[in-house]
Amino acid sequence: MKSFRVLYAFLSLLILIAAGIPYGTASAAAEPASGKVYQIGTDVTFAPFEFQDASGNFVGIDMDLLDAIAKDQNFQYEIKPLGFNAAVQALEARQVDGVIAGMSITDERKQKFDFSDPYFKSGVVMAIREDQESIKGYEDLKGKKVAVKTGTEGYSFAESISAEHGFTIVPFDDSAQMYDDVKTGNSVACFDDFPVLAYGVKQNNGLKIVTDMEPGASYGFAVSKGQNQELLQKFNAGLVNLRASGEFDRIQEKYVGENAPSPANQSRMGLVIESLPYLLKGLGKTLLLTIVSLFFAFFIGLIFGFMKVGRNKWLRGIATVFVDIFRGIPLLVLAFFIYFGIPQAFGFTMSPLVAAVLTLSLNAGAYVTEIIRGGIQSIDPGQLEAARSLGLPYRKAMMKIIIPQAIKIMIPTFINQMVITLKDTSILSVIGMVELTQSGKIIIARTFSSFDIWLTVAIMYLIVITILTKFADRLERKVRHG
Amino acid sequence: MAKIRVEGLKKSFGSNHVLKGIDMQVEEGEVVCVIGPSGSGKSTFLRCLNRLEDITAGKVYVHDQNINDPSIDINKARENVGMVFQHFNLFPHFNVLKNITFAPVELGKQNASEARASALKLLERVDLSDKAEAFPSQLSGGQKQRVAIARALAMNPDIMLFDEPTSALDPEMVGEVLGVMKYLASEGMTMIIVTHEMGFAREVADRVIFMDGGYIVEEGPPEKVFGSPEHERTISFLEKVL
Repeated sequence: MKSFRVLYAFLSLLILIAAGIPYGTASAAAEPASGKVYQIGTDVTFAPFEFQDASGNFVGIDMDLLDAIAKDQNFQYEIKPLGFNAAVQALEARQVDGVIAGMSITDERKQKFDFSDPYFKSGVVMAIREDQESIKGYEDLKGKKVAVKTGTEGYSFAESISAEHGFTIVPFDDSAQMYDDVKTGNSVACFDDFPVLAYGVKQNNGLKIVTDMEPGASYGFAVSKGQNQELLQKFNAGLVNLRASGEFDRIQEKYVGENAPSPANQSRMGLVIESLPYLLKGLGKTLLLTIVSLFFAFFIGLIFGFMKVGRNKWLRGIATVFVDIFRGIPLLVLAFFIYFGIPQAFGFTMSPLVAAVLTLSLNAGAYVTEIIRGGIQSIDPGQLEAARSLGLPYRKAMMKIIIPQAIKIMIPTFINQMVITLKDTSILSVIGMVELTQSGKIIIARTFSSFDIWLTVAIMYLIVITILTKFADRLERKVRHG
Repeated sequence: MAKIRVEGLKKSFGSNHVLKGIDMQVEEGEVVCVIGPSGSGKSTFLRCLNRLEDITAGKVYVHDQNINDPSIDINKARENVGMVFQHFNLFPHFNVLKNITFAPVELGKQNASEARASALKLLERVDLSDKAEAFPSQLSGGQKQRVAIARALAMNPDIMLFDEPTSALDPEMVGEVLGVMKYLASEGMTMIIVTHEMGFAREVADRVIFMDGGYIVEEGPPEKVFGSPEHERTISFLEKVL
């Protein structure tokens, strides 16, 4: 079938393009070292270890350290800012070669990963709101809520003492959200690694540290167990060299020392204006994702939609199963399954862009299938009978008589689906897509200004969706009136 | 040679047996009116004659061709059999002219200008020359049905099937449609008409078929079926409608 060939060609093209696009704002080592480019997963919002500066570059202790080691050991790498949980899962799924993300070396993690020598000694502290006085220690937490970041040492520590002190744990995916929960008063305190919290306090995140550091695990660079051993050795060797040369201390001093930079005294408006180019870049990615995914969703919907209204009961069955599956799986689960699950099961890597487009296309494709089926079936069967009685073949009758009428009926629901898909792109931030929502998250991780940035992000979505809806209204009117 | 020959035709929808064994034939130029109570299978029978319904058993020959034989080109066979529907089924996104010219042009019977010329002639025949550019939504029911007849005639069929062509019309519009059909009959068109218009059937039909319960109960010239029906069910039906 012609349409299948076209679809196949476009799919191949997309994969080629996606493979060719270097993902994210990677800072690869400059030396033209021979051999492979290591894919290194990291967190997006773990200042001072990794975060993006105002111009969108990934900076922080981990980033500078990796860069220095790569130069010292002459290897190339590419940073994949996936978020902590996603980065760890990606390492398990061998989607990345290593993870550097302020990752504590624990016995549990040693089951699955091989760690480098520890490069940073850390430990958990507790922080509360700046203006709070009543919480002085763990014993004051009774009956209260405590914010923690999932998968961190802070989480494990909070869990270990929660029964004893009688508080409830509220889990978050990144530090900024955790701080915001304390700032807004939902939780009275949070637990996090000392350097991270200390840096946040210095950046005016609105909290203060009230406990001494609990002796904790050290941070290490991780690879999958038994994999990439040469990368691990290079990391260790580089670490020894940097410590010897004093470079290591300079990097630490730059971020957590006495003379570490505290935020420029910037107005709220100034911050928003400064963030706009970065947010607009995210919006661009959001629109790209939406358009490409809807394009494929439309093809998928056409194929399965026609199968569903067709006369072959096997094809009808296949289309029904397709719709049931992809309408029945939450988008978030589908994204995780495609990006982490499938590559892990079959042992290959998939770029986040391909995974994101695949996820959205399949999800929206299921809905578009139903829109097309509904549109076609809403046309009086007498139309097809009249066309067939004149001797027109089924295909011709569908294309010239049924479809043009059905499209008019479908347009409003199509527009609705476009708006939904556009908003759904925000969910793909979980697999490291730096679209508009993720861009906002990244800025907040650095600046802790939730209100201003989320407001800006919301307005940007609103503007785009309003323009889309207005355009759709005009299109609809035009189609209806000839 | 019979234009249409039906042998032992049965049609079921699941466990609902609508046609239970129909045998009949239609000669060239014959006008056959099919009457009977609702649910008697009249419309289903008509729809079996151009395979809008797949049949359950029996044979239907049109132009001596078994139309349910999978090896025949049903689209080709349908070109010679025009059909007019109760609810007109005009294409709402085309104007009147395009409704008529669409099939002959699309199927390569005529080029666009030939099709246009013959469509205008057909519109003249159904007395709607002034509506060529109108859209179906701008026409009355009677006008729609006359366009539908013109559309069917545009393929130049030699058999016309009418499925209750006046049932959806306001009473004052029935006459104009029946007028066109009478004209067609007078030109010698082979016609099978499912209808509730007993006066029309009596006047125009060469033969009237009374169907009930999935069978042909009685058939014959109109004066016989209407004047001296033999079967009890025919009598009671005619008593109700006349």
